[in-house]
Amino acid sequence: MTAVLQLTSITKSYGGVRALDSLSLEVAPGEVLGVIGPNGAGKSTLIGVIGGALTPNSGSVTFDGRDISKLSSADRARMGIGRTYQIPRPFTRMTVADNVRLAATNSGHHISQRELEPFVGGILDRLGLAPFAHETAGKLPLLRRKRLELARALALKPRVLLLDEIGAGLVRAETDELITIIQSLRTEVESMVLIEHVMDVISRCCDRTAVLDFGKLVTVDETPKVLADPVVASLYLGSIADSAEPTPFDEDKRAGIRASLTSLVSVAKPVSDAPLLAVDDVWVRYGGLNALKGVSFDVQPGECIALLGANGAGKTTMARALAGAVPLTSGTISFAGKSIAGLRPDEVTALGVAQCMEGRKIFGTLSIEENLIAGGLDARKHVKAERLEAVYSIFPILKQRRKNSGTALSGGQQQMLAIGRALMSAPTLVVFDEISLGLSPIAVDEVYEALGAIRDSGVAMIIVEQSVERALALADRAMVLSQGEITLEGMPSELLADARLLSSYLG
Amino acid sequence: MKNGMSVLLSRIATPTRVGRRDFIIVAALAAIAFVVPYVAGTYQQEVGFRILQLGALAAAWNIAAGYTGLVSLGSAAFFGLGVYTMALASNAGLPIVLCMILAAVVAGLFALIVSPALFRLRGLYFTVGTLALAEALRIFVVNSPWFGGQAGIFLTARAPKAFELYWIALAIAVLVIVCVLVLLRSRWSYRMQAVRDDEDVASQLGVRTYRTKLWAFGLSGALIAIVGSVQALNQGIVQPNGGFGISWTIEIVSVAIIGGMGTKVGPWIGAVFIVLLGEFLIQFPEIHMAVVGVVLVLVIRFMPNGIWGTFTLALQKERNFS
Ligand SMILES: Nc1ncnc2c1ncn2[C@@H]1O[C@H](COP(=O)(O)OP(=O)(O)OP(=O)(O)O)[C@@H](O)[C@H]1O
Ligand SMILES: [Mg+2]
Repeated sequence: MTAVLQLTSITKSYGGVRALDSLSLEVAPGEVLGVIGPNGAGKSTLIGVIGGALTPNSGSVTFDGRDISKLSSADRARMGIGRTYQIPRPFTRMTVADNVRLAATNSGHHISQRELEPFVGGILDRLGLAPFAHETAGKLPLLRRKRLELARALALKPRVLLLDEIGAGLVRAETDELITIIQSLRTEVESMVLIEHVMDVISRCCDRTAVLDFGKLVTVDETPKVLADPVVASLYLGSIADSAEPTPFDEDKRAGIRASLTSLVSVAKPVSDAPLLAVDDVWVRYGGLNALKGVSFDVQPGECIALLGANGAGKTTMARALAGAVPLTSGTISFAGKSIAGLRPDEVTALGVAQCMEGRKIFGTLSIEENLIAGGLDARKHVKAERLEAVYSIFPILKQRRKNSGTALSGGQQQMLAIGRALMSAPTLVVFDEISLGLSPIAVDEVYEALGAIRDSGVAMIIVEQSVERALALADRAMVLSQGEITLEGMPSELLADARLLSSYLG
Repeated sequence: MKNGMSVLLSRIATPTRVGRRDFIIVAALAAIAFVVPYVAGTYQQEVGFRILQLGALAAAWNIAAGYTGLVSLGSAAFFGLGVYTMALASNAGLPIVLCMILAAVVAGLFALIVSPALFRLRGLYFTVGTLALAEALRIFVVNSPWFGGQAGIFLTARAPKAFELYWIALAIAVLVIVCVLVLLRSRWSYRMQAVRDDEDVASQLGVRTYRTKLWAFGLSGALIAIVGSVQALNQGIVQPNGGFGISWTIEIVSVAIIGGMGTKVGPWIGAVFIVLLGEFLIQFPEIHMAVVGVVLVLVIRFMPNGIWGTFTLALQKERNFS
């Protein structure tokens, strides 16, 4: 059988960065092909080249035996190629339904006005977006935006679906649901290409999996074989590989990182024995909906808290409230004895609370280095330089590219930049929302390694994380939010001891 | 550069749905406007003409700029094409209505011809590129032998009376409104908004962005040209500096921004505001433009969505919180 999609020695460079390096790959009919690889390996670039958003420097793309290299992305979409964007790009001022309608009415298939509404409604329903159909897409939180990406791609009635990390940031039950959706799609589309850092999705959905690194194909084979490959384990999977031994960390490197991280740390002397952060009976209401319903908790200096919960439970609202980015309907939040309710986000940062937000606002007009510096504007020049070096020691790729635009990075690299920027203000408390979003497993290992060092030096942290095991391994205390309330709280060891209880709370 | 433009465009409100109700309201308003010449004097008819003329221009411009993100400063080019087409065609003895249609066709063809070069430019670059259009046409008209040079062309047709002009302007205003409403009801409305908000994503979802932009730009230009053709009748003489003058462009943009870009009603509110302000300051021509400038700056600073956009947003908020 001939391949549905065939890429022949594709090379794509962005300036000096070679994102794809004479890559050849085939997608067979009926196949779901997984694509994995470290952050910046060229996975999203691959989808861009197939979809037509990016023009390769050389090489050709064939769809159904026809060379489509010269076609516009609109024509490719009409031929049946549907893709999603890793960092979602909804039309923010259109409603969710209109976003889907747009795709439905511009696909290669004619759809009459009468068929349109049930068709759009069906897609929204299937992806759980129906309740938000009439909201403007700009109001959707990140994970629903990812769903909307999928909804729009489906509305094209595609023959081939290219999905770029739609499973990031989901708790287990949600991942299962997504896997069910993907499996049900197998009968509707001819083939799929799935980029994921969530190995559950890869191992349960993909027939074959390709591994990319530095724009080159490392291997492509049946999924179980690929995941068991020791090369893939060391290159990509890190500690989550089946074969992984307790990772032999390079002690010298670790000590080096620790030493340089001290400049990122400014631990205030405890004022008294009062908690560093006190959240008291906080309510937040959006429109007619209560996102938080009387949340109270304390954070002690140097304490690390894991904030767990399903999507829509209120974690992001909590993080945003701590950052001063949403007004409290009632209740108080005080930091180091001072109330921060009503302060602007920059004033909150100035007090020593940094945040790494889920929506990560990376400035494309600023270079990577300037983006970082924007995180710690107040510091003196030599302090800034020290902190920059510290961040660069955690994420060397940022140093290599420091003069490039902040958005000229892969999705995972932008997440690294966001984490680095949050650390640049040398905070006393950092709030990380969806910290491992878009990071490859091995990059997550590294980030947690650095977080461990930062925690040990006395910085308090609140970590919102979907990977329960990772978060609990780091945290001193964990809380589960569901439907705007804290429903479970305890030491990681207690929660881990009763995994069933925990999973029932996580929904 | 692109950012500055996207900041401007990000302030445009998304158009609300268009229903049968909108057409009924338009019909009712048009019926009221129709009787004005029976109850009001020449002066009122002239003011009415100005309001209808400016409103139609701004509403037509809005199709490209407000809904599709093609912020053009080339309106005077289309306007001038309309002015000259009317002069030449009516002097050749064609009936007035045919001259107007011809003006629209000429403008549409002009859009088609300039689009390959212009649509290569995005955002602010596009805007700057359109600035050249009117000037290029003006120079062409001055220097070629067919258009009467600087002196211009006299229209041989009988000069219409004030009430006739008023009714023509009213008919054209209704035409523009109906075009906008029909467009907003159609699938083009999503395409246009999508192209405005993120052209690359629109294309990835199957929208033929070039075609979409061409339709919007061409329709906008054609409607502007029709209004321009009436201006030729109004003046009785057409001249390069009047027809292709930058002041038309400036007026159109001011009206649309003050009223509210990307809204159905904004351009008309803006036109009423600007024309009445002009009448109010008629004794003080030396400060007129300065006042308009100050108002423009104040609106951009304090009402980024224009008068109408701000008003509707406030209404929406009111609804959300109650
Ligand atoms: N717009 C751009 N300009 C310059 N370089 C870019 C741009 N987009 C991506 N790159 C670079 O190209 C390389 C491949 O990026 P790509 O987005 O394809 O990676 P990826 O495999 O999708 O990574 P991730 O898992 O982090 O999403 C990276 O080194 C990245 O920094
Ligand atoms: Mg990517």
